[in-house]
Amino acid sequence: VLSFRAVESQSEGQCAPVDSLWRRYSEFELLRNYLSVTYPHIVVPPLPEKRADFVWHKLSADNMDPDFVERRRIGLENFLLRVASHPVLCQDKIFYSFLTQEGGWKEMVNETGFQLKADSRLKALNATFRVKNPDKRFTELKHYSDELQSVISHLLRVRARVADRLYGVYKVHGNYGRVFSEWSAIEKEMGDGLQSAGHHMDVYAASIDDILEEEEHYADQLKEYLFYAEALRAVCRKHELMQYDLEMAAQDLTSKKQQCEELATGTVRTFSLKGMTSKLFGQEAPEQREAKIKVLEEQIQEGEEQLKSKNLEGRDFVKSAWADIERFKEQKNHDLKEALISYAVMQISMCKKGIQVWTNAKECFSKM
Amino acid sequence: SAGAPQPLPSSGPKSLREMPHPLATSSSEEMGPALTPSPDLLLPRSIADKDLSLPNGTPVDTSSPASSSSLLNRLQLDDDLDGETRDLFVTVDDPKKHVCTMETYITYRVTTKTTRAEFDLPEYSVRRRYQDFDWLRNKLEESQPTHLIPPLPEKFVVKGVVDRFSEEFVETRRKALDKFLKRITDHPVLSFNEHFNVFLTAKDLNAYKKQGMALLSKVGESVKYVTGGYKLRSRPLEFAAIGEYLDTFSLKLGTIDRIAQRIIKEQLEYLVELREYGPVYSTWGGLEVELSEPLEGVSACIGNCCTALEELSEDMTEDFLPVLREYILYSESMKNVLKKRDQVQAEYEAKLEAVALKKEDRPKVPTDVEKCQDRVECFNADLKADMERWQNNKRQDFRQLLMGMADKNIQYYEKCLTAWESIIPLLQDKPETK
Repeated sequence: VLSFRAVESQSEGQCAPVDSLWRRYSEFELLRNYLSVTYPHIVVPPLPEKRADFVWHKLSADNMDPDFVERRRIGLENFLLRVASHPVLCQDKIFYSFLTQEGGWKEMVNETGFQLKADSRLKALNATFRVKNPDKRFTELKHYSDELQSVISHLLRVRARVADRLYGVYKVHGNYGRVFSEWSAIEKEMGDGLQSAGHHMDVYAASIDDILEEEEHYADQLKEYLFYAEALRAVCRKHELMQYDLEMAAQDLTSKKQQCEELATGTVRTFSLKGMTSKLFGQEAPEQREAKIKVLEEQIQEGEEQLKSKNLEGRDFVKSAWADIERFKEQKNHDLKEALISYAVMQISMCKKGIQVWTNAKECFSKM
Repeated sequence: SAGAPQPLPSSGPKSLREMPHPLATSSSEEMGPALTPSPDLLLPRSIADKDLSLPNGTPVDTSSPASSSSLLNRLQLDDDLDGETRDLFVTVDDPKKHVCTMETYITYRVTTKTTRAEFDLPEYSVRRRYQDFDWLRNKLEESQPTHLIPPLPEKFVVKGVVDRFSEEFVETRRKALDKFLKRITDHPVLSFNEHFNVFLTAKDLNAYKKQGMALLSKVGESVKYVTGGYKLRSRPLEFAAIGEYLDTFSLKLGTIDRIAQRIIKEQLEYLVELREYGPVYSTWGGLEVELSEPLEGVSACIGNCCTALEELSEDMTEDFLPVLREYILYSESMKNVLKKRDQVQAEYEAKLEAVALKKEDRPKVPTDVEKCQDRVECFNADLKADMERWQNNKRQDFRQLLMGMADKNIQYYEKCLTAWESIIPLLQDKPETK
């Protein structure tokens, strides 16, 4: 299938100077846009954040910060792995070229003309409010993805504040190191114990940097699913759009059929300005009416075929989308469980370090 | 050997044993480290008793209680009061609130168990309030000015937000009052103080207090050591060293107090965030199906960590900070005693100079100069003995305090560890295939 080497060579490109990094990121964005438009029924893996968000004070909000750049590189690598392991997406030729083709990839993508297939945001918004019979499962899913997005953002925000405060607690202990050292200078028997305990306080204060750095990986795992929620919503929106389109087409067909019937029977069931004006200013000649009926009948025929294919499309979409959603759910449950386990493991490690340091300090104090 | 005034024993780092007491006989070495004083050397029960005299017949000046007590002090120098030799036990417990028309206050039960002859009964139980302890401390400072008197917890609550009837405040205070009395109990001189005895035993302390006030004006007990206006040229090396030590010591303690307070503050702010953090996992759990239990588990776990952290902060506030503050107060009162010592020495030196300037051929030194020298030497001896005792107790107290601090932190992390370890199986659990 895909060789790992190809993936890595892309990632290595990330270590290039600043402008090329930004270009690279934009190419990732292009790839993702292409995939989202081309496979609207797929929950397309999200990109890592462009700009540092949910930062706590120590972590630089600077996008040039090496830690941030490194984490974003890992995120981009992860994105490619996700696409590569997706049963449908991994077979895409553009994706394959992204990994293998050095130059001219951008042009290749644009040549596919995928932008034309993209739905306008306005149309999508319209659809949200006007669709009459959306599939219930999609409505629920959309609601879920909204809630998921909300809860994960909240979680990430609070986690950042928690990290900030924890940092403060650890760092203040460093002051003990200094004062114990100064105090030990005036003591005789107590001096050694104090001095060595102070050293352990310094170790304790320094330990928080690594602890919080590790926690950032957990935050990144949460962020991925925060962004995944958006991808979920995109699929729901696509369904809404298709459903809306279908409903509009059905409505249009119905009104055309009605018009036809009215023209044929001469009865006016529905009010229309044209109908009124024709009543007031005289009716049309039979030939004109015949011509109109013929046009309508053609349009009705077209419309019925279109409706049929739209219906089919809609059902296919729902089927394949739902299959991918089920796949996504499994992946999500698995990944988040793993993330929670690794978070618990991190906390356990932090507790053990804490116990170690304070036990060492206690021993020093006991020698006072 | 009584006679010409000796050079001040306190100049130069000599050990107490090397210094001859002007009133001592050559057989002073034989007295050795007696554990209990012979009946002749018991402190007078009442200030008016003047029948005391030393083995060599020199009458002991009971109007200056310091000299007899310092003698006692020297005899008991090596007395490391361990459990077997202890004959006085005092405890402070059982705080109770009293609501009266005029005021509301707390009393504490003070229980005494003793085999000492100075006490009529082997056991006593009385109730005392803070102002009684305050009175006792003032009396000790007045009657034993050459000794280091342990500190009391602060009279007024500085922060203003703390409720002085809250359980935590009362308990913190009780511990401090208990420590105060125990320190006096452990002191070979202070524990025999008459006011201390009355404090432990009297049913009606207020009556004694009033009586004491009347007597005070007659005997002028407190006047003796108020020597005003003399300036010491230079503090002897070893006392200067003590002064410098105390200065740096109280400075460092002040810093530690600030650091500890800052840590508690940061911990409480961390706790605030944690309290918001935990429930979000629970909210999330409500959205999920398969992840519901794991997320709830994490939420509960964080909740447990919150409880543990709250306990840690409370412990540090109640047990750690007050002891630091006590030692800072202790240092301050000790520095004052050093200053008093300087005053006494200054007075002696001034009077000595005055005599020398008169250039009279007097075979005998005027008694008041002799008395001054006596006072200086006793003061120095008492202070040095107390300093040594204080240093040792301080070391033990801080060893215990800091080990306690480490312990509390270990316990906190152990509680959190247990919480996180217990949810690992929950997180790894695979749901039953339905």
